[in-house]
Amino acid sequence: MLGSADYAIWLLAASCEACVVVCVFSTRSARRYLPIVFHMLGEFLATIGRFVIFRRYGYTSHEYFYFYYYSDALVVICLYFVLIGLFAQVFEEMKVSQYLRVAALLLLCGTAWITYSIVADSRGRLLTHFVVELSQNLYFVGVVLTYLLWGAVVKLQETRTRLVQLVLSLGVYFSAFAVTYALRNLYPGFSLWQYTPPLLGIALPAAWAYTFLKVPEGARLATAQVAAPGR
Amino acid sequence: MSRWLSVVVLVMLVLAAAMGLRGIVTSHSQVPVMEAAAGGPVPPSPWRAAGGPVPPSPWRAAGGPVPPSPWAK
Repeated sequence: MLGSADYAIWLLAASCEACVVVCVFSTRSARRYLPIVFHMLGEFLATIGRFVIFRRYGYTSHEYFYFYYYSDALVVICLYFVLIGLFAQVFEEMKVSQYLRVAALLLLCGTAWITYSIVADSRGRLLTHFVVELSQNLYFVGVVLTYLLWGAVVKLQETRTRLVQLVLSLGVYFSAFAVTYALRNLYPGFSLWQYTPPLLGIALPAAWAYTFLKVPEGARLATAQVAAPGR
Repeated sequence: MSRWLSVVVLVMLVLAAAMGLRGIVTSHSQVPVMEAAAGGPVPPSPWRAAGGPVPPSPWRAAGGPVPPSPWAK
Protein backbone atom coordinates (compact mmCIF):
# COMPACT_ATOMS: atom_id res chain seq x y z
CA MET A 1 0.00 0.00 0.00
CA LEU A 2 1.20 3.47 -0.84
CA GLY A 3 0.29 6.69 0.91
CA SER A 4 -1.65 9.53 -0.68
CA ALA A 5 1.58 11.56 -1.02
CA ASP A 6 3.10 8.77 -3.12
CA TYR A 7 0.08 8.68 -5.42
CA ALA A 8 0.13 12.49 -5.66
CA ILE A 9 3.82 12.46 -6.67
CA TRP A 10 3.08 9.72 -9.20
CA LEU A 11 0.23 11.72 -10.75
CA LEU A 12 2.25 14.93 -10.75
CA ALA A 13 5.17 13.19 -12.51
CA ALA A 14 2.88 11.91 -15.29
CA SER A 15 1.26 15.35 -15.65
CA CYS A 16 4.62 17.16 -15.92
CA GLU A 17 5.92 14.66 -18.48
CA ALA A 18 2.79 15.06 -20.63
CA CYS A 19 3.03 18.83 -20.18
CA VAL A 20 6.53 18.93 -21.70
CA VAL A 21 5.36 17.06 -24.81
CA VAL A 22 2.38 19.41 -25.19
CA CYS A 23 4.60 22.49 -24.68
CA VAL A 24 7.14 21.31 -27.28
CA PHE A 25 4.41 20.76 -29.87
CA SER A 26 2.53 23.96 -29.01
CA THR A 27 5.69 26.05 -29.49
CA ARG A 28 6.46 24.23 -32.77
CA SER A 29 9.86 23.07 -31.47
CA ALA A 30 9.33 19.35 -32.01
CA ARG A 31 11.70 19.03 -34.97
CA ARG A 32 14.55 20.77 -33.18
CA TYR A 33 14.03 18.96 -29.88
CA LEU A 34 12.95 15.54 -31.13
CA PRO A 35 15.06 13.56 -28.58
CA ILE A 36 13.35 15.49 -25.74
CA VAL A 37 9.93 14.64 -27.19
CA PHE A 38 10.85 10.94 -27.40
CA HIS A 39 12.33 10.94 -23.91
CA MET A 40 9.36 12.65 -22.27
CA LEU A 41 6.89 10.51 -24.20
CA GLY A 42 8.82 7.43 -23.05
CA GLU A 43 8.80 8.64 -19.45
CA PHE A 44 5.08 9.32 -19.62
CA LEU A 45 4.31 5.88 -21.06
CA ALA A 46 6.61 4.24 -18.48
CA THR A 47 4.86 6.09 -15.64
CA ILE A 48 1.42 5.09 -16.88
CA GLY A 49 2.55 1.50 -17.56
CA ARG A 50 4.03 1.20 -14.08
CA PHE A 51 0.79 2.38 -12.54
CA VAL A 52 -1.28 -0.11 -14.53
CA ILE A 53 1.05 -3.00 -13.63
CA PHE A 54 1.25 -1.84 -10.01
CA ARG A 55 -2.56 -1.87 -9.75
CA ARG A 56 -2.93 -5.21 -11.49
CA TYR A 57 -0.05 -7.25 -10.03
CA GLY A 58 1.05 -5.37 -6.90
CA TYR A 59 4.15 -3.71 -5.55
CA THR A 60 6.20 -6.84 -4.80
CA SER A 61 5.31 -8.66 -8.01
CA HIS A 62 7.88 -9.79 -10.55
CA GLU A 63 5.87 -8.07 -13.27
CA TYR A 64 6.24 -4.68 -11.59
CA PHE A 65 9.93 -5.27 -10.90
CA TYR A 66 10.75 -6.24 -14.47
CA PHE A 67 8.66 -3.50 -16.05
CA TYR A 68 10.14 -0.90 -13.71
CA TYR A 69 13.77 -1.62 -14.50
CA TYR A 70 13.40 -2.48 -18.19
CA SER A 71 11.38 0.67 -18.81
CA ASP A 72 13.94 2.63 -16.81
CA ALA A 73 16.76 1.38 -19.03
CA LEU A 74 14.88 2.49 -22.14
CA VAL A 75 14.10 5.89 -20.63
CA VAL A 76 17.74 6.40 -19.60
CA ILE A 77 18.95 5.48 -23.10
CA CYS A 78 16.51 8.11 -24.44
CA LEU A 79 17.93 10.60 -21.93
CA TYR A 80 21.41 9.79 -23.22
CA PHE A 81 20.28 10.71 -26.73
CA VAL A 82 18.76 13.93 -25.37
CA LEU A 83 22.23 14.83 -24.10
CA ILE A 84 23.80 13.95 -27.45
CA GLY A 85 21.15 16.09 -29.18
CA LEU A 86 22.05 19.03 -26.94
CA PHE A 87 25.75 18.45 -27.72
CA ALA A 88 24.87 18.55 -31.44
CA GLN A 89 23.09 21.89 -30.97
CA VAL A 90 25.94 23.44 -29.00
CA PHE A 91 28.53 22.30 -31.58
CA GLU A 92 26.38 22.78 -34.70
CA GLU A 93 28.45 25.70 -36.03
CA MET A 94 31.69 23.71 -35.74
CA LYS A 95 30.46 21.04 -38.20
CA VAL A 96 31.55 18.13 -36.02
CA SER A 97 28.29 16.17 -36.12
CA GLN A 98 30.02 13.16 -37.73
CA TYR A 99 32.55 12.92 -34.89
CA LEU A 100 29.80 13.47 -32.34
CA ARG A 101 27.71 10.60 -33.70
CA VAL A 102 30.68 8.21 -33.65
CA ALA A 103 31.67 9.33 -30.13
CA ALA A 104 28.10 8.85 -28.88
CA LEU A 105 27.94 5.35 -30.33
CA LEU A 106 31.40 4.45 -28.98
CA LEU A 107 30.47 5.72 -25.54
CA LEU A 108 27.21 3.77 -25.48
CA CYS A 109 28.97 0.59 -26.65
CA GLY A 110 31.78 1.15 -24.13
CA THR A 111 29.30 1.57 -21.30
CA ALA A 112 27.48 -1.58 -22.37
CA TRP A 113 30.76 -3.50 -22.52
CA ILE A 114 31.83 -2.34 -19.04
CA THR A 115 28.39 -3.20 -17.71
CA TYR A 116 28.61 -6.68 -19.21
CA SER A 117 32.05 -7.12 -17.61
CA ILE A 118 30.53 -6.24 -14.23
CA VAL A 119 27.56 -8.61 -14.46
CA ALA A 120 29.16 -11.46 -16.45
CA ASP A 121 29.86 -13.47 -13.29
CA SER A 122 26.33 -13.28 -11.92
CA ARG A 123 24.41 -16.54 -11.88
CA GLY A 124 21.04 -16.39 -13.57
CA ARG A 125 18.99 -13.38 -14.62
CA LEU A 126 22.01 -12.05 -16.45
CA LEU A 127 19.90 -9.87 -18.74
CA THR A 128 18.06 -8.24 -15.82
CA HIS A 129 21.32 -7.59 -13.98
CA PHE A 130 22.71 -6.13 -17.18
CA VAL A 131 19.71 -3.86 -17.72
CA VAL A 132 19.77 -2.50 -14.15
CA GLU A 133 23.54 -1.95 -14.18
CA LEU A 134 23.43 -0.35 -17.62
CA SER A 135 20.87 2.22 -16.57
CA GLN A 136 22.92 3.07 -13.47
CA ASN A 137 26.15 3.37 -15.46
CA LEU A 138 24.39 5.56 -18.01
CA TYR A 139 23.26 7.84 -15.18
CA PHE A 140 26.88 8.45 -14.24
CA VAL A 141 27.95 8.84 -17.88
CA GLY A 142 25.14 11.41 -18.09
CA VAL A 143 26.54 13.29 -15.10
CA VAL A 144 29.98 13.54 -16.70
CA LEU A 145 28.56 14.44 -20.14
CA THR A 146 26.40 17.17 -18.65
CA TYR A 147 29.40 18.77 -16.97
CA LEU A 148 31.33 18.55 -20.26
CA LEU A 149 28.38 20.12 -22.06
CA TRP A 150 28.17 22.92 -19.54
CA GLY A 151 31.91 23.51 -19.96
CA ALA A 152 31.40 23.74 -23.73
CA VAL A 153 28.46 26.14 -23.28
CA VAL A 154 30.62 28.44 -21.12
CA LYS A 155 33.72 28.13 -23.33
CA LEU A 156 31.83 28.77 -26.58
CA GLN A 157 29.91 31.62 -24.93
CA GLU A 158 26.59 30.11 -25.89
CA THR A 159 23.85 32.71 -25.58
CA ARG A 160 20.73 30.78 -26.62
CA THR A 161 18.67 31.07 -23.43
CA ARG A 162 16.51 28.05 -24.11
CA LEU A 163 19.49 25.79 -24.74
CA VAL A 164 21.32 27.09 -21.66
CA GLN A 165 18.25 26.48 -19.48
CA LEU A 166 17.77 22.97 -20.84
CA VAL A 167 21.42 22.10 -20.13
CA LEU A 168 21.32 23.66 -16.66
CA SER A 169 18.14 21.75 -15.75
CA LEU A 170 19.83 18.51 -16.79
CA GLY A 171 22.92 19.43 -14.77
CA VAL A 172 20.85 20.06 -11.65
CA TYR A 173 18.91 16.83 -12.20
CA PHE A 174 21.94 14.56 -12.65
CA SER A 175 23.97 16.22 -9.90
CA ALA A 176 21.10 16.08 -7.42
CA PHE A 177 20.54 12.39 -8.21
CA ALA A 178 24.19 11.54 -7.63
CA VAL A 179 24.33 13.61 -4.42
CA THR A 180 21.12 12.07 -3.11
CA TYR A 181 22.41 8.60 -3.86
CA ALA A 182 25.69 9.28 -2.07
CA LEU A 183 23.98 10.85 0.93
CA ARG A 184 21.49 8.00 1.15
CA ASN A 185 24.38 5.60 1.44
CA LEU A 186 25.99 7.73 4.14
CA TYR A 187 22.79 8.42 6.12
CA PRO A 188 20.36 5.62 5.25
CA GLY A 189 18.06 6.39 8.21
CA PHE A 190 17.24 9.94 7.15
CA SER A 191 13.61 9.93 6.02
CA LEU A 192 13.91 12.84 3.54
CA TRP A 193 15.67 10.64 0.96
CA GLN A 194 12.51 8.67 0.20
CA TYR A 195 10.85 11.68 -1.44
CA THR A 196 13.92 13.26 -3.06
CA PRO A 197 14.25 11.04 -6.17
CA PRO A 198 10.55 11.22 -7.13
CA LEU A 199 10.57 14.98 -6.59
CA LEU A 200 13.65 15.25 -8.80
CA GLY A 201 11.78 13.21 -11.38
CA ILE A 202 9.12 15.94 -11.35
CA ALA A 203 11.58 18.84 -11.26
CA LEU A 204 13.24 18.04 -14.62
CA PRO A 205 10.04 17.91 -16.73
CA ALA A 206 8.68 20.92 -14.83
CA ALA A 207 11.83 22.93 -15.62
CA TRP A 208 11.72 21.86 -19.27
CA ALA A 209 8.02 22.66 -19.58
CA TYR A 210 8.69 26.13 -18.14
CA THR A 211 11.59 26.61 -20.57
CA PHE A 212 9.53 25.69 -23.64
CA LEU A 213 6.56 27.72 -22.47
CA LYS A 214 8.26 30.90 -21.30
CA VAL A 215 11.55 31.12 -23.22
CA PRO A 216 11.19 31.70 -26.98
CA GLU A 217 13.62 30.01 -29.37
CA GLY A 218 15.13 33.35 -30.38
CA ALA A 219 15.84 34.56 -26.83
CA ARG A 220 19.49 35.33 -26.11
CA LEU A 221 21.45 35.88 -22.92
CA ALA A 222 23.20 39.23 -22.76
CA THR A 223 26.38 37.82 -21.24
CA ALA A 224 28.73 40.08 -23.21
CA GLN A 225 27.14 43.27 -21.89
CA VAL A 226 27.11 41.89 -18.36
CA ALA A 227 30.76 40.85 -18.52
CA ALA A 228 32.04 44.05 -20.15
CA PRO A 229 29.57 46.91 -19.67
CA GLY A 230 32.08 49.61 -20.66
CA ARG A 231 32.79 48.30 -24.16
CA MET B 1 43.31 10.88 -38.20
CA SER B 2 44.20 12.94 -35.14
CA ARG B 3 40.58 14.05 -34.84
CA TRP B 4 39.39 10.46 -34.71
CA LEU B 5 42.03 9.66 -32.10
CA SER B 6 40.82 12.64 -30.08
CA VAL B 7 37.30 11.24 -30.24
CA VAL B 8 38.50 7.87 -28.92
CA VAL B 9 40.53 9.51 -26.14
CA LEU B 10 37.56 11.70 -25.14
CA VAL B 11 35.22 8.70 -25.05
CA MET B 12 37.65 6.77 -22.86
CA LEU B 13 38.09 9.76 -20.55
CA VAL B 14 34.34 10.17 -20.13
CA LEU B 15 33.94 6.43 -19.45
CA ALA B 16 36.77 6.44 -16.90
CA ALA B 17 35.39 9.54 -15.19
CA ALA B 18 31.85 8.13 -15.07
CA MET B 19 32.93 4.77 -13.66
CA GLY B 20 35.26 6.51 -11.19
CA LEU B 21 32.42 8.76 -10.06
CA ARG B 22 30.17 5.77 -9.68
CA GLY B 23 32.82 4.01 -7.62
CA ILE B 24 33.17 7.02 -5.32
CA VAL B 25 29.44 7.55 -4.90
CA THR B 26 28.58 3.89 -4.31
CA SER B 27 31.68 2.83 -2.39
CA HIS B 28 29.73 2.42 0.86
CA SER B 29 26.55 1.33 -0.89
CA GLN B 30 23.75 -0.11 1.15
CA VAL B 31 21.12 0.96 -1.31
CA PRO B 32 20.95 -1.71 -4.02
CA VAL B 33 19.85 0.30 -7.03
CA MET B 34 19.29 3.84 -8.12
CA GLU B 35 15.77 5.13 -8.57
CA ALA B 36 14.44 5.35 -12.08
CA ALA B 37 13.72 8.43 -14.09
CA ALA B 38 9.98 8.07 -14.64
CA GLY B 39 7.40 8.01 -11.85
CA GLY B 40 6.42 5.12 -9.60
CA PRO B 41 7.77 3.57 -6.41
CA VAL B 42 11.01 1.56 -6.54
CA PRO B 43 10.26 -2.17 -6.39
CA PRO B 44 11.97 -4.24 -3.71
CA SER B 45 15.30 -5.62 -4.88
CA PRO B 46 15.51 -9.35 -5.60
CA TRP B 47 19.29 -9.22 -5.02
CA ARG B 48 19.22 -9.07 -1.29
CA ALA B 49 22.22 -10.55 0.42
CA ALA B 50 21.71 -14.03 1.78
CA GLY B 51 21.85 -13.08 5.44
CA GLY B 52 20.73 -10.09 7.45
CA PRO B 53 17.47 -8.27 7.88
CA VAL B 54 15.61 -6.78 4.96
CA PRO B 55 15.78 -2.96 5.12
CA PRO B 56 12.43 -1.20 5.41
CA SER B 57 11.07 0.08 2.14
CA PRO B 58 11.24 3.85 1.71
CA TRP B 59 7.82 3.61 0.10
CA ARG B 60 6.00 2.04 3.05
CA ALA B 61 2.42 3.09 3.50
CA ALA B 62 1.69 5.94 5.86
CA GLY B 63 -0.50 4.08 8.33
CA GLY B 64 0.50 1.53 10.96
CA PRO B 65 3.57 1.17 13.12
CA VAL B 66 6.67 -0.58 11.79
CA PRO B 67 6.89 -4.08 13.28
CA PRO B 68 9.87 -4.83 15.52
CA SER B 69 12.79 -6.45 13.76
CA PRO B 70 13.09 -10.20 14.39
CA TRP B 71 16.87 -9.80 14.30
CA ALA B 72 17.02 -7.31 17.17
CA LYS B 73 17.96 -8.71 20.58
